[in-house]
Amino acid sequence: MKAALVFAAALVPLSAGANGLVPLGPQEIRRIVSHGPWPQPVLRDPSNRASGNPQAIALGARLFFDARLSANGTVACATCHVPSRAWTDGRARAIGLAQLDRNTPSVVNAGLARWFGWDGGADSIWSQGLRAMLDPREMGASPALVAGAIRADPGLACMHDAAFGAGAAARDDTQVMVDASKSIAAFVATLNSGRTSFDEFRDALARGDRAAAARYPLASQRGAKIFVGKGNCSVCHFGPSFTNGEFHEVGVPFMLGAGKVDPGRHGGIKRLQGDRFNLLGQYSDDASGASATKTRHVEMQHANFGQFKTPSLRNVALTAPYMHDGRLAALRDVVRHYSELDMERIHVHGEQLLRPLKLTPGESADLVAFLESLGDPRAGEAPDRLPAVPGCR
Amino acid sequence: MIAARWLVALAAAVPVLAAAQCDAPGAKIESDRIVVVYRTVPPKIAVGQHFAVEARVCAKGAGPAPTALRVDADMPAHRHGMNYRAKVSPKGEGRYVAEGLLFHMPGEWRLLFDVDGGGRTERLAANITLE
Repeated sequence: MKAALVFAAALVPLSAGANGLVPLGPQEIRRIVSHGPWPQPVLRDPSNRASGNPQAIALGARLFFDARLSANGTVACATCHVPSRAWTDGRARAIGLAQLDRNTPSVVNAGLARWFGWDGGADSIWSQGLRAMLDPREMGASPALVAGAIRADPGLACMHDAAFGAGAAARDDTQVMVDASKSIAAFVATLNSGRTSFDEFRDALARGDRAAAARYPLASQRGAKIFVGKGNCSVCHFGPSFTNGEFHEVGVPFMLGAGKVDPGRHGGIKRLQGDRFNLLGQYSDDASGASATKTRHVEMQHANFGQFKTPSLRNVALTAPYMHDGRLAALRDVVRHYSELDMERIHVHGEQLLRPLKLTPGESADLVAFLESLGDPRAGEAPDRLPAVPGCR
Repeated sequence: MIAARWLVALAAAVPVLAAAQCDAPGAKIESDRIVVVYRTVPPKIAVGQHFAVEARVCAKGAGPAPTALRVDADMPAHRHGMNYRAKVSPKGEGRYVAEGLLFHMPGEWRLLFDVDGGGRTERLAANITLE
């Protein structure tokens, strides 16, 4: 922090673009530095005894790509979470067994999240996986179907038994299904994005390395300055993951059609509290109950209606289209949304945080350049097929 | 040791002496009638991390003894509160523990203490800035 302040003082006299550095004040530098370091450590999930277990991760990788876990054998997790598309699908709204109402969020960096799904209707990766398995519009599975698929495949059954230390044949269907989702969660938690050009810039600022900081493109630097300053974006897109993990209403309509609305977080909390697979239930492996603190204390409020989760911005340029219903095709459309924000659409009980940013075309382009710099250059390299996993005998 | 326990119990029972209990270490906020000394656990609040508040509530002077405490927080400039409801547990002798708080964004927060006593509720607020 001290180095950052010294660096800030040194930067002030510079004119824009001089020496390849955009002038930044101490507060701007502190805010930019707060978006790192990256990567962040992914801690073991105490609610999931398969978390971090290599055998469970291998089983989870197999199951993630296995369409036998769906009602008609055509939909796998990877159907919507496509590896080469930054683990999303490029569609406005997801298509499982039927068309869904929301955009497919990426599963990358899910191990760092607090809530899961646009509405936060699940409080763990594994309960979110169960939600997708059991939703008739997504995979339409049942405990019997999932357990049957694992028991019927000697390879999967062997991997299950090795991962959980108990025979799939001896456990009830629901428990085997939960085991399957915990394995998938253990695999998903290994999907983390790598370092970006922004991270190099951020680290250079933190250590006061002017030469290294100047390698970050000027347009991206200007965009970063807007992001933490005039744009006020970093208030919600906070920290190393560029999300505060919570829910906001940002003026995106949530009408789904005549007489039908998407309640967003309001419905998510309702779902969470009625979910027998939440962290307060019998399927959590966290005997301390500490991981369920959020579930125990979350409060449903009227303002939750129409709120959706703040998405991470890491790899954001690779995850179009945008917003909870995929209504915006490109990043420039998202920037325009906030630049020309329609305050009439903000909920009357909503928070007083958003105002139209009224960005110039140049500022908008700079903000897009900054957002594009948050992409892991290796993110698109993941193959759209089952990764090699060890067999089981 | 037994004598010391009796002295503590006596102090808790006599409102005139109650303010002395609030000389404990911690941040102090007060009104004409009430003193609240609190500390957060962990000591440094981080955005997006749950924390607890340990508080001691005392009457000032001969005022009525506080009987209950509620803890909440808000961001007045944003016109919103927390997304979580704190659970406050009394620990005796004016001590309370509030659990489950979480500040979900940086900025200016108010930590709110609503103290019941003498047939009324008084709100004391502590300003906290998170970066």
